[in-house]
This record gives sequence, structure tokens and C-alpha cells, in this order.
Amino acid sequence: MLQRRIPLLITFLTGVIIVITFFIPHPPFGKLQDDALVWYSIILGFSMLIGVDSLLRFHYRRIARREKGFGFSFVFYAGFLACFITGIISEIKFGDAFAEGTSFRYLYDYILVPLQSTMFALLAFFVASASYRAFRARNFIATLLLITAVIVMLGRIPIGAKIPGITPLTDWILNYLQLGPARGIRIGIALGAISMSLRLILGIERTYLS
Amino acid sequence: MNISTDIWVWIAALLTLFIYSFLYKDNPFYKFAEHLFIGIGVGYTTVLLWFNSVIPKLWNPLVHGTSPMRFFLIIPILIGALMFSIFSKKNNWLIRIPIAIYIGAGSGLAIPLDFEGLIFEQVKGTILTKSMFNSFIVGFSSIVLFIGVIATLVYFYFSKEHKGFVGKTARVGIFYIMIAFGASFGYTVMARVSLLIGRMQFLLHNWLGIIK
Amino acid sequence: MMILLILSLSVKAFDTPNDGGGSITIEVVGLNGDLKNGYVYRNSMEDTTFELRGLISRTSYKYVDDGAENGKEYLYKVELEFDDTTLTLFTGPVSAKAQWYDPTRTSVLIFLIIFSGFVLWFIQLARKNPEGLFIRKIPALDAIDEAVGRSTEMGKPTFFIHGLSGITDAGTLAALTILRRVSSKVAEYETPLIVTNYDPIVMAASSETVKQAYAEVGKIDNFNEKNIVYLTYEQFGYTAGVDGLMIRENPGAVFLQGYFYAESLILAETGHSVGAIQIAGTTAATQLPFFIAACDYVLIGEETLAASSYIGREPVMLGSVKGSDYGKLFIMIFIGIGVIFATIATILNIKGNSILMNAFNTFMGWL
Repeated sequence: MLQRRIPLLITFLTGVIIVITFFIPHPPFGKLQDDALVWYSIILGFSMLIGVDSLLRFHYRRIARREKGFGFSFVFYAGFLACFITGIISEIKFGDAFAEGTSFRYLYDYILVPLQSTMFALLAFFVASASYRAFRARNFIATLLLITAVIVMLGRIPIGAKIPGITPLTDWILNYLQLGPARGIRIGIALGAISMSLRLILGIERTYLS
Repeated sequence: MNISTDIWVWIAALLTLFIYSFLYKDNPFYKFAEHLFIGIGVGYTTVLLWFNSVIPKLWNPLVHGTSPMRFFLIIPILIGALMFSIFSKKNNWLIRIPIAIYIGAGSGLAIPLDFEGLIFEQVKGTILTKSMFNSFIVGFSSIVLFIGVIATLVYFYFSKEHKGFVGKTARVGIFYIMIAFGASFGYTVMARVSLLIGRMQFLLHNWLGIIK
Repeated sequence: MMILLILSLSVKAFDTPNDGGGSITIEVVGLNGDLKNGYVYRNSMEDTTFELRGLISRTSYKYVDDGAENGKEYLYKVELEFDDTTLTLFTGPVSAKAQWYDPTRTSVLIFLIIFSGFVLWFIQLARKNPEGLFIRKIPALDAIDEAVGRSTEMGKPTFFIHGLSGITDAGTLAALTILRRVSSKVAEYETPLIVTNYDPIVMAASSETVKQAYAEVGKIDNFNEKNIVYLTYEQFGYTAGVDGLMIRENPGAVFLQGYFYAESLILAETGHSVGAIQIAGTTAATQLPFFIAACDYVLIGEETLAASSYIGREPVMLGSVKGSDYGKLFIMIFIGIGVIFATIATILNIKGNSILMNAFNTFMGWL
């Protein structure tokens, strides 16, 4: 029973205190929100260790049991250890792991950044395949989506600008027609988030306790 | 053709091609790149978090600082330590305490900030004022925007069945929502294609030297 | 001209309002854009020399001195440089102090009280009359059981992919509610469930959620902790890992729940390519179009946040959704009243009566 009551009480007290600090600039209240953000990043550092442990054990089990594809777990270990060790050495030796010429910087510039950029660039292919499927105009709503997307796409490219009226129509769609629902969605999400936050603070919503 | 002789450019180019091979099907090259990516990603974020957050915000103030207030930093250390209770079969419920603190603080932060930053700004922009009617087009557009906001809010009204007047307004709302999604989709397509152009430039210019 | 300028200028220093102390604002009054530079010097009552603190802003004609000690009195000297002359003005003594209440945030307090009032009122009503609450159909949530059932029939696992936000995000907490429902179903049908996580704290919470769901159905022995996978805290590393897992495990149903960024389309398209039925839900408005294009069902924004109330159907939870709906209604009425008020104020202003227009502008500034 206490295992559920104590966390609920902590959620309530923390939530109420943080809400109050929004209205009270006087120390220590006014600084609490900034302190909370600093503490959050410190605690995240500790929780990262749990995630790292989970991953290291997962791949160790794969290797130990010779599961399918276990060879790639060695690649994981190699990448992790290379980055982790060079990061520590570069930080200690140069004071900044990202300084030009450090081994950590080479790993970042020539392995991590190309991998990130290429994964990001896959979107060009996926947006084409998604467009092909989405724009088959199965019903009126899908037709609206299709027509608007085509107009805006054309309005954003040099060739499309040659079609009379496309550019002002695109601007009008972006500045007025789509702004209304965007605002409505944002208001709805904000109200939903506030409602959920109230439920959490008051202990009505308890999913996180399982 | 002026192929690069820099080993690091070759490594970057090969990893790029390994990732692109995923578009055909899963294969050992993609698996290699994927596992390397995850390993390096974990190593990178761990180093970043510790040297950019934990050490300057925790270690340095505690060890090298002089203010007596610095001992309050013991609190996040204790909360962080409670995270490790996940490894104990008997006491793993203790992990609920840091989670409860996170959720309480996050909820407390969200409530006033969502009001001030999201709701008020959207409401202020929607209320029709004289300046919105400086010309016929702007006035008409402002009314279109106003109807869009109200109709969308009605669509997200859960407590009433979408029948009658509410149903018709909600239907207008979903039309507006689909138009907004179409506009958002069309707006980002070119940005996505430009990412591909960037990688192609790297492969064809930096690596193979085919283009200038 | 110069004499007129000198006579019109003055400088004032005051405690910066609505803050936690330690700040004094210096303002030059009567300037009209001729200023070249304005230097602010400070001297505490115990010193004899003035130290340079900073420059007056050339747009607002103010300088905020953030290094003052609360309660300590200071004198300020301001040197104003013009094209052909320099003026020195003094002001003080002034001291900084902390305020206990920020009146500029009163509007937030009032709306918070009104909104909380709605939520609490309907929660109380729900407790007394649980049958009287209605929530409209949300097809994506109704499809959860269908998706898990389809996955079971095909003999394939179910995937639950968390977004990139932490446990403090409302969308992540809503995702945990949906995970609870999915876990109950997969535990009942004995279908494998794989949960991928970006954040280690969310992984811990997911593990607890799934374990509890298995325990409630009486199949705790079937719970496999290895299937709650933490991949990496790097956006596209996570995407690469999830894609690889999806291609290899070939799920029958994929749930994408939480806050996503650009990787949303990559994940959704990969899920589509393996033939899985996909249910997405996010509060990231910019990613919704991609989910609409690639997924079978989508929870749009607030529908995700209503999931816990919809799935559980507990009267108290439904009451809070109703309270939120009345908050929405209040905002719609507020906007409507604002429009009517602005219209009347404009008409009267045109006729020469600006009282309502001034009141309207003041109210909009206060909001």
C-alpha cells in the first residue's frame, strides 16, 4: 500500500510546489524551476547508466548464447567502447572532447554525422512512397489532403512559381487556411495536457505506478 | 574523376551506402551500420551527458565550489541512486520515487506554461480586431481562420456525439484539419528532398570527385 | 535646441518589478533617437568610485543591472553621448528587492482556477452519476484489440514503439496507458510483444507497466523482460535500430505512440513495408500528416491524451475529459465575446468614443 501511496504523495507535493513557484518570484521559489531543470539533467546522467547497462547485457547475452546475428553485437561493443574511451581521453587530454583534431571528433565527424545524415536523407524516398499511397484520393477528405499538398508543393518550387496564382494561393493556404486548424489542434493539445497534468498531480491518473 | 584518398571520407561514404542498402532489403551491410550506429550513439550521448551536464552541474560545484547551497546537490544524487533500485528484486518499487518526482515536476511545469505560452497566444491571435480588416482579402481570410479554429475545437469535443449542428461543425473541422495536414506535408517535401541532395553531393563530390 | 534637450531628459532607477530580486532597472526618459551611446555606472553607498555596469539599450532606453544585492542601496550615474555633447545624469539611492507575487501572471492564475474548477466539478459529478457521461467514439482506440488480434492470427509479434520524449511528457504517459491495454491483450492471446524505448526512464516505466499487465491476466511467467528494449538516446540511431528490428521480427501490428520528430515517417513507412497494421498517436502536430499518410489509424493530438479515460472508462477519468471539454467551450465563448467586444469598440472608436477600445487593448495586454 505504501509502495503506491508514497509516490502519489510525492507527485502531489512536487506538482503543487512547482505550480506555485510560477507565481512567486521570491527566493527560494523563483529559482526552483531553474534548479529543477538542472537536477533533471543530473538525474538523466544516472538513468543513462541503466539504459547502457541494459544494452550491454542484451548484447552480451546474444554473444554468450550464440543467438542469430550475434557477430553484430561485437560491432556494437566496438562502436560503444571506441566512442566512450576516446570521449573520456579527449576530454581529459584536451579539456573538450569536441576540440578539432581529437579522436572523438573524428568519430563524430566521419562516422556519427554521416550515419545521422543518411538516415535523415532516407526521408526523401519514404516521403515519395507515402505520397504515392496517400494521394490515391479514396474519399473526399483524402482528396482535400492531396489537392492542398500538391498546391503547396508547386508553390514552393521555381517551376511552380511560373503557374499563375500558385504562389499567392500557397501563401494564403499557409498563412490563413491551415493556421486555423493548427491553432485549434494546439489549443486542444494544451488543454488535454493540462487536464492530464491535473489528474497526475491529484493522483487520479496512476498508470505510471503500474 | 578525382576519388578521395582520405580514409575517413571512405569510411563515411561506405557507411552512407550501407544505410542506403536498407531501401533494397535488410542485409549484413545495413546490420553492420545499424549496430555501429547504436554503439557509437550510446557512447556519444553518455560522454555528452556526463561531461556537459553531470560534471559541470554536479561534480564541479560540489568539489570545487564554495557556496554552502551546493550541498543541496546531494538531493539529485540520492534521487539518481534510487534509479538503481530497478536491479533489486525486493526493493525495485523504489524506482517509483524518482519517477514520481519527474512526473510531479513535469506536470507542475506544464500547467502554467501551456496556458501562457500556448493557449493565450493562440486565443489572442484568433480574436478578430479592426486591424485584421484593413483590406477585404485580409478581413475575409481572418474570418476563414476564425472559423477554422472554432470548427477544429468542436471536432475535438469528446462529450457530445457528432450529430446535428455539432456533427456538421465537426465535419467542417475535419476538412480544415486535412487541409492543414496536406499543407504541412507539401511544405516539408522539398526539405526532405534537399537532404538527399546533400548526401548525393557528399558521395559525388567529396568521395568520388565526379562533380565540382 | 540643446538646452531644450537637456531640460527634457531625466533618468530614473527602480527595482525591477515582478522578479526574485537582485535587479535594478535604469531608464532614460525624454530621448528621441539621437543617442550615440549611454554608459551606466554604479556606486554603492559605501564606495567613492563609480564602476561601469553596461550600456543603455538604443531601442528601449533602459538598462537592467542584474548584479545588485537585495536591500543594499546604490547610486547610478548615466553618461549620455550625443553627436556634439555629453550629458551626465545621476539617480538614486535605490535598492533591489524580491517580490512575493508576480501580478503579470494573474491571467494564468484565473484561467487555471476556472479550468481546474471545471475538471474537479465534473469529477465530482461523475462520482455521483457515473452513467451520465458520454465520450464519442475514437476509432483508433477501438482498433487496438483488432490490431493485436490480427497479429495473433498471423502468428506474428506486436511492436510498441515509444516516441522520443521523456516520462514528463503528457504524450509519453498517454502512451503508457495504451501500452497497458496492448500488454493486457497480448498477455491474454499469448502473442510476443516487443517494446522499444528511447529514454531509459521510460524503459523502466514500460517494463513495470507490461509486467503488471501480465500479472493481472495471470500470466506473469510469460513476461519476458528482454523484450523491453532500450536502443539508444540518439534520434536516428534509435530509428535505425527500430527499423532493423521491424524488418527482422516482421510484426503483425505496430503501435507508434508518443512524441516523434522527423523519424516518424521512416518508422511508419518501414512498418507499412512489413505489412503490419499500424496505430499511431502523437501530440507532435507537425508529424501527424506523415502518420495520416502511412498508418491505418491515427490518434490526433488530444485524442491520445484522452486515451486513458477512453480505455479505462472509469467515471472519474471521464469526468476529467468532460471538464476539459468545458474548458474548450469556455475558450470558444471567450473568443466569441472577444470578437463582439472588439467590433463594438471599433464602431464606437470610429464615432469618437475610445473608452471601450482602450479597455479592450488593456485587456489584451493583460492576457
